[in-house]
Amino acid sequence: MSTDQRERTRIPPAAASPPQPEASPDAAPTSRRRRTERFHHRLFVTPSVLVLLVLALYPLLFIAAAALSRSSLGQPFQEFTGLQNLRAAAGDPAVQDSMLLGTSYGLGVAAVSTVLGTATAVALWRSVSSGAVLRTLLLLPMIVPPVIVGILFSFIFSPSGGLIDTLLRQFTSFSGSFAVLSDPSWAIIGVAVADVWEWTPLVVLLVFTALLGQDPEILEAAQLDGAQPVQQFLHVTLPTIAGTVAAAFLIRLILAFKVFDLVYVMTSGGPGSSTQVPAYLIWRAALQNFDVGMAAAITLVLAVVVTLVTLPIFYLTKRLRDD
Amino acid sequence: MPTKNSIPRHAPLALAAVLSVVALTACSADAGAQSQGDAASGDYDGEELNLLLNASHEGAGEWLAEEYEAETGVQINVTTVPYDEIASQLTLDQQSGANTYDVSAPWYVSLGDLAADGSIAPLTDYVESTPEIDVEDFIPSIWEPYALVDEEIYGLPFDGDIHALFYNEEILERNGFQEPPATWDEYAEQVSTITENEGGDGVYGAAVFGEQSPMILGASFANRLAGFGGDFLDGEGRPVINSQEAVQSLEALEDVWEDALPTPAETDFGAGNSAWFAGNVGFIENWTDLGVRSQDPESGSEVADGWGVTYLPRAEEGERPRASLVAGFSWVVAGNTDKSDLAQQFITWAASAEVNAELLTALPPTGIDPNRVTSLEDETYSEDFPQLQEVNESTLDGALAWPTGENATEAAQVLTDEIAAHLSEQRDSAQETLDTVQSEWERLLVD
Repeated sequence: MSTDQRERTRIPPAAASPPQPEASPDAAPTSRRRRTERFHHRLFVTPSVLVLLVLALYPLLFIAAAALSRSSLGQPFQEFTGLQNLRAAAGDPAVQDSMLLGTSYGLGVAAVSTVLGTATAVALWRSVSSGAVLRTLLLLPMIVPPVIVGILFSFIFSPSGGLIDTLLRQFTSFSGSFAVLSDPSWAIIGVAVADVWEWTPLVVLLVFTALLGQDPEILEAAQLDGAQPVQQFLHVTLPTIAGTVAAAFLIRLILAFKVFDLVYVMTSGGPGSSTQVPAYLIWRAALQNFDVGMAAAITLVLAVVVTLVTLPIFYLTKRLRDD
Repeated sequence: MPTKNSIPRHAPLALAAVLSVVALTACSADAGAQSQGDAASGDYDGEELNLLLNASHEGAGEWLAEEYEAETGVQINVTTVPYDEIASQLTLDQQSGANTYDVSAPWYVSLGDLAADGSIAPLTDYVESTPEIDVEDFIPSIWEPYALVDEEIYGLPFDGDIHALFYNEEILERNGFQEPPATWDEYAEQVSTITENEGGDGVYGAAVFGEQSPMILGASFANRLAGFGGDFLDGEGRPVINSQEAVQSLEALEDVWEDALPTPAETDFGAGNSAWFAGNVGFIENWTDLGVRSQDPESGSEVADGWGVTYLPRAEEGERPRASLVAGFSWVVAGNTDKSDLAQQFITWAASAEVNAELLTALPPTGIDPNRVTSLEDETYSEDFPQLQEVNESTLDGALAWPTGENATEAAQVLTDEIAAHLSEQRDSAQETLDTVQSEWERLLVD
């Protein structure tokens, strides 16, 4: 049972819905008062709406307008081209491959981060009294700038004296060179490892907070009923934090879809096109090829893909939280 | 009493005043933008000029700033960014309205895109009315790609930048080679032998620049294309990137991929040059200024007096050497600068034969290669670096230049991506790889 549920159950049904006003001769002044209240509500909400319009709607309109026009970096909106950019982007094999790569990468990285993050959070929760320093240390990767993470993992994967290379030479009979980042199959895994290392602490933080919010009485009751630790986790803890875990997976998925800096630093999209994730492709179209129209079109295609991939997870998250 | 719709009597007066102020402001701004002076006579003493340069030109930027301030009293502020970000930085600076930069020196391939966006100013009228620029003295094969977009002049050559083949004399001797290779086949053979003999000790046949960037992997391919006598475009400007010579070039690159310093796909300038200075590679294709740095005691070079340099290999022995203009840079004036007169005078000075000759031999090394016939034949350069001078003379006739004009940057990137995909075994054959590039180039450069 979630905290929300507990809160909801304490509210008596009568209090949940306001009493219905009775019809009276004072209906006109009441109606006037309501109009005034509505006006005040709108007045107070207006700044927020305006901010939302500026921060959310304007960029969206800009992207849409750029996608429908011939736009370069220095001269946006030169000529209306209709759906030409969108058709070109959707039909471009490089964009299609990139979307497929981005989706697989996002789902894979989000799944691994969520499993590792949840396991770490549970371990921390079990040792809640003794792990303050450890908890802080575990959060450090999230604080390190992604560029540094990229450089760090480039060193780790370096075939000339990197950590992996040294370990292989030291403890095995391996004598060749194992270049993770220049192998078309391994390069994306190398980037994913760095990504998981960097962002798993976010999942830890979210799940750990949810674990702390658990009602200890329920756990105690389960213990008194003879439930083993595994049973307690599967039947009590996991249902309680399931909504948060799903939300963490969703956040992690969206972050993974947006990965750019690690790819830029570690592989420059290569070898070949093996790490050309959507964000890298968009950067290249806009800032290397000066084709802002195409970059905006790829962004819209990406938005559709991300929406299609995340919608089921949104519903799942909502359902788990409501349960 | 005036009626509701009547115009107050003082309104025309106020309107006239406002218009006068606007006109005066406009005139004043215009005068600022167009004002003429002579920097060498001190007319711009105390003014500032902001330069945007490639990070590898930081030394040259410092040298230029110091000298120009001493000569004119103009303060030069240098900002450096990675070589592949100059064009976007310059464009974004103006598009955002910041207009920080007055002068820049981007890769010559990006001139077409910068001109199309209005990010750089045309210089034709200025160059034609300024005889001291002495256009005829620029190395002819460099002038056209480094300066022109269609028929309009947008840049003045700054850094010639051709690659030559440097070799470690000791490594060659240890492996029984008396002479550096004259052909790409000989090169592959020597590289393979050295790696086979000394790879276990961390010494490899060659550092091959293979990082997926036009100026790195693209340059390695262009070196071979020049050697095999190929071209990017034919005489009419149509792409011929899937020619027999281009296929041979890609195959020649593939031949040394496995024997090169591990791993070529990750070898950028830093990794390649470090291996060269440490004496861990037999060969490196690099800019001719590497010779100056190899002799510089401050650069930590362990190969001083133990290296040689020669022309890039060719298809057959005895063929005429051909330079490959892989990464030259041009001086440009920012499209929105309000210091265009001073900026033009600065680039005229910075592209002059005297300044170029000084930069060639300055210490610490500035990374600049010859851009003029006079500086190429400079006495000090000839005395200090006779081998480099000889190699650079190959630019005088028929050098290979990248395509220029609008979309040329994207075309270079497309080629680089496909080459990288081929070398990482994501494509079936060299011919198919280059056929794909050909079709993309026709879309980008012709349609």
